[in-house]
Amino acid sequence: MSTLIAIGAGIAVLTGIGAGIGIGIATSKAVDAIARQPEAEGKIRTTLILGCALAEATAIYGFVIALLCIFFLK
Amino acid sequence: MLEELNCETVFTIPVFGGIGISESTVVTWIIMAALVLLAIIFVRNLKVENPGKVQLLLESGIGWAEDFFRDVLGEKGKVYIPYLITVLIYLAVSNLIGILGFKPPTKDINVTAGLAIMSMVLIEFAGYRAKGVKGKLKSFAEPVAVVLPINLLEIVIRPVSLCMRLFGNILGSFVVMELIKAIVPVLIPIPFSFYFDIFDGLIQAYVFVFLTALFIGETTE
Repeated sequence: MSTLIAIGAGIAVLTGIGAGIGIGIATSKAVDAIARQPEAEGKIRTTLILGCALAEATAIYGFVIALLCIFFLK
Repeated sequence: MLEELNCETVFTIPVFGGIGISESTVVTWIIMAALVLLAIIFVRNLKVENPGKVQLLLESGIGWAEDFFRDVLGEKGKVYIPYLITVLIYLAVSNLIGILGFKPPTKDINVTAGLAIMSMVLIEFAGYRAKGVKGKLKSFAEPVAVVLPINLLEIVIRPVSLCMRLFGNILGSFVVMELIKAIVPVLIPIPFSFYFDIFDGLIQAYVFVFLTALFIGETTE
């Protein structure tokens, strides 16, 4: 049983893939944008942090589900 | 390590059959006391002419925060700035307090849930205050009437995602740091601690307050 729970938690954490790809793309575009328009750096940074936080939320949900699996499925 | 994750009840107030006071509450009280004390000490000798170094630093900090929030909130939302700055300071301190050996209160899901509910109430209240009851109710069916259920769901989803984001990040960084410390206890955790304890905590405090401000700006528009 505990093996199955561990596997389930591992699968839940796979949501991190999506967040990683998303944040990677967002950051690369932000670097592009700053290179093109260095004077707009402040605005780009705020938008980037907001976008990263929203993208990261999916990974966090996966992590929370994994923790719930481990703690409550004994 | 599993015991570290739970928030224990420190003591019980013997009224109404015993109210349990958990560790996060006690740490929050300590943070509150420290912040109030610092606030009193720093604003004691404020002068209009020849301000001291501390006053200049405070003024530039508060000015930066006010400018930042005014950009997000717009002129209408100016009244909410003091609350947002208070939450920002509280979250920043409580995310960083792990360095001093306390358990960060934001690692307890009840604390982040409480903060998120406060944000939700503030967001909705700001909407009713800016638009009036009729206008706010009408705004649920904008831009088309089909999105009404989505707009209603959003009321609940916003605080849930605020709460989970803060809790998950702090707990996640705590777990990672504990794992690193369990494997290599000396020297190696230092650079990781800079990222997980300091950088991540500050970013999350910023994100929480920024998102709240953004939602308030959205509803009051």
